[in-house]
Amino acid sequence: MDGSGKISIALKVNGDSHEVMVAPRKLLSDVLREDLRLTGTHVGCEQGVCGACTVLVDGRPARSCLTFAVQMDGLNITTIEGFNREDGYSPLQQALHEEHGLQCGFCTPGIITTFEAYLVENPDPTEAEVREALSGNLCRCTGYQNIVKGILKAARVMRGGSSGEAVAQ
Amino acid sequence: MSNDVKTENFRSIGKPVPRKEDHRFLTGNGRYLDDIEIPGALHACFLRTPFAHARILSIDTEGAQKAPGVVAVVTGRDLAEWTTPLRLAPPIEGLHPTGMTTLPIEKILFNGDPVACVVATDRYLAEDAAEMVFVDYEPLEPVASIESALAEGAPLIDESLPSNLVSHQIFSAGDPKGAIARADRTVECFFSQGRQTHVPIETRGCAAVWDEGRQHLTFHIGTQVPHPLRTQLAGRLKLSESQVTVVSPDVGGGFGQKIALYREELTVAALARHLKRPVRWREDRMENLLAASHAREDVVRTRAAVTNDGRVLGLEMEITEDFGAYCFYPANYIARVVAMILTGPYCIQDYAFDVKAVLTNKCGNGPMRAPMSITSWVMEGTMDAIARELNLDPIEVRRINMLKSEDYPYRMATGEVLEDITPRETMETVLEAIGYEDFRRRQAEDWAHSVYRGLGLCVVVEPTTYGSAFYKSAGIPGSGHESAWVRIEPSGAVNASVGLMGTGQGYETPLSQAVAEGLGVDPAQVTLHLGNTDIAPYGMGSRGARGGTAGGSTLYLAARDAQTKVLAIAANMLNLNTPGELRLVDGRVERQTGGKWDDVDLTLTDVARQAYLDPTNLPEGMEPGLEFHKSFDPPPMTYSNASHLCEVTVDPETGRTMIERYIIAEDCGTVLNSIVVEGQQHGATALGISGTLYEEVYYDESGQNLTGSLADYLLPTACEIPNFEIIPMHTPNRRGPAGIKGMAEGGVMGAIGAVSNAINDALAPFGVVAETQPFTPQRIRDLVRGKNPSG
Repeated sequence: MDGSGKISIALKVNGDSHEVMVAPRKLLSDVLREDLRLTGTHVGCEQGVCGACTVLVDGRPARSCLTFAVQMDGLNITTIEGFNREDGYSPLQQALHEEHGLQCGFCTPGIITTFEAYLVENPDPTEAEVREALSGNLCRCTGYQNIVKGILKAARVMRGGSSGEAVAQ
Repeated sequence: MSNDVKTENFRSIGKPVPRKEDHRFLTGNGRYLDDIEIPGALHACFLRTPFAHARILSIDTEGAQKAPGVVAVVTGRDLAEWTTPLRLAPPIEGLHPTGMTTLPIEKILFNGDPVACVVATDRYLAEDAAEMVFVDYEPLEPVASIESALAEGAPLIDESLPSNLVSHQIFSAGDPKGAIARADRTVECFFSQGRQTHVPIETRGCAAVWDEGRQHLTFHIGTQVPHPLRTQLAGRLKLSESQVTVVSPDVGGGFGQKIALYREELTVAALARHLKRPVRWREDRMENLLAASHAREDVVRTRAAVTNDGRVLGLEMEITEDFGAYCFYPANYIARVVAMILTGPYCIQDYAFDVKAVLTNKCGNGPMRAPMSITSWVMEGTMDAIARELNLDPIEVRRINMLKSEDYPYRMATGEVLEDITPRETMETVLEAIGYEDFRRRQAEDWAHSVYRGLGLCVVVEPTTYGSAFYKSAGIPGSGHESAWVRIEPSGAVNASVGLMGTGQGYETPLSQAVAEGLGVDPAQVTLHLGNTDIAPYGMGSRGARGGTAGGSTLYLAARDAQTKVLAIAANMLNLNTPGELRLVDGRVERQTGGKWDDVDLTLTDVARQAYLDPTNLPEGMEPGLEFHKSFDPPPMTYSNASHLCEVTVDPETGRTMIERYIIAEDCGTVLNSIVVEGQQHGATALGISGTLYEEVYYDESGQNLTGSLADYLLPTACEIPNFEIIPMHTPNRRGPAGIKGMAEGGVMGAIGAVSNAINDALAPFGVVAETQPFTPQRIRDLVRGKNPSG
């Protein structure tokens, strides 16, 4: 801790190590956005309800608006930026694009992080299971139908089934 | 506008082109307000009152001023020196003028009203210091409902008014009283819609950067209406429009909430100028729910004069809206539209309305996606009530009264003209899709097994794209025109702009298609520049389902002008006397010979190069360059239509409504991009379902807002919203270029009516009618408790 009350922590984000000085009360969402300039993580409610701020902590979805950054010392964090590829979209990003599974895009990063993890553990979900898992992410624009379609399509592609579409954009 | 629209020849318009903006949103590279980096920006935090109605006796800011990181603490008195008050006094009969200061000085008017603003070096410190501002209040009696607002001797919200009835208008056409006198029956209905709020997932926010040397303000804000906002902002800061640039980044949803210039935003702008330092503000969710903008909360009564066979002879309607404490819009603005379009697809010439708006100690109302959303429920709920009371089939009652295709254009009792709409066709289509007779059989079978299944139909006539003439005839100040420019650069790159600003709809793609169609290039070649008032032409922005009809049409017309000049230059380059036999396709000039189009090895790039870099070779008298500006004022109103059919089951034990099936047949004219249009249909319908079943801003009797989190103000999740089956039945609008009609609000109207009618159909065996939304499980339980179903 230095004179300002800040604490030095080691954050591993998207595979990169960062040493940051943070106040103990500073939220992980704010540290990601302000200190690391990873602004793809969005803050929609700061009440843990909307899911827009979801990141992965050691591979599990977590609300970065309800998490203090100091609690994350030494853990692996993955944000939306961590799923970007040089050669194009992930199957989930591609399927959401094709199915118009996003409108304003503000809730989208939280949905992608949630389902990049979910589809690894649940490669062949039913529509009802996808809807249940998606219920932690609020979307005001789409009515969810195309998000669900996109996720189911991504699951098919990731299982090696044919979607008929190349993943490269 | 004459109609020579040959929509079947469109090459770009109507294609399901995936959205251009998706890439940045899917990769976390969208740039929303809070993503903009502004070095040295200070953070604003507003102190909000816990009272509903109170006089401000004193505000002690001394402790907060000394708190760590604090740069300034200001109140309404400070802001009054730097800004002008809002005065709303349009010459509308029956509407009282209203006004407000930038922050309250004498009185606070609702729970959440801002009383002071703290500016500090970071948001955490600003919030800490806000807790050190002490306000001494004299609590006043709160007014928390329409009834208490209109009660004798009610406390006045606005003490300059004679009563809380801020607006009252009546209208009568034909002889509705006579119709009631000669009718076999009079059917009376009641409808009540809950108070709602928009809940964009990105809350409000802004960032103000004052340039002291240039005396210029750059104001970053997610807004639907960049130019009108700039005009307001400049005026209230006592600056000229030349001194203010409004820049809208990507916007995480608006739904009508991001139109008005709010008091917090004006405060932030004034502080940046006063402190000569950048200031930014991001609203938290509780502030958004409590104090951004509310909507709806209206009660309606109808009286329909009918014959025994279900024919409507006349109709009377009374609507009262709880407008909250502050008027950011004329208080008659929303409810009056409901009254003007109520009769929708039905032949009803003897019609009267009574429209009231009252002030209460609640957050002020504004337009929310389909401000007039209650309209279709009221009309279609009345149709169902007529059928119930006369023991007729509700579909037959509609068929008897509904206009036929040969009746259009049809002048409604209010003077509104309906044309190019297809309500009957969409209605019959959804009934066929579900198999209406088969449904009634299933329903009867299920009733025998205590499964309460219901079907709700809602035929929607959606007013879109309010033109200047509508505003004028409705007594609402405003213009409905839109402006656009198209510029072909020397390389042949195509840039375009329009006064709209999207809030997530995906304008960049369909509007590119409109430009591409008018000019003759691939949509991928067109780049739209939206949201910056230094770049965009002065247009009226995004609201009232006008993006396609006003924005798309204006861009299409500007691009057509561009094509005319491009082909004139091309003809000259090809040594032709006239461009009459030339066209531009995918950026290449083609010539018609013997009925066949041939490529002539001349591209848009070749033409552009000559226009900019070799102007002496242009046709005689032609100006260099390829820049085009166009303004377009759409017809008074452009109507779309749809029919929504919803099948539900209602569990009388728990009060839970399950949507089993949802079918929509819609006619919204020429579709710019079918992907985007379908997305808007889904979103609008989901929002309507949500308001019908879940959402309600709840104030208790003391005016405390009890819905300050998303755990209290319920939004549906993916588990509550069904899949929608959509049947496109689009027919072009013959009064606008390219045949476009507006859309994206009708889904809300349809859902509210269809879900409500379905629930009441399901509850019919109990002999009850659900009238007060939202139809939560508790409300349904209250209705059926102690009631025994009868076959």
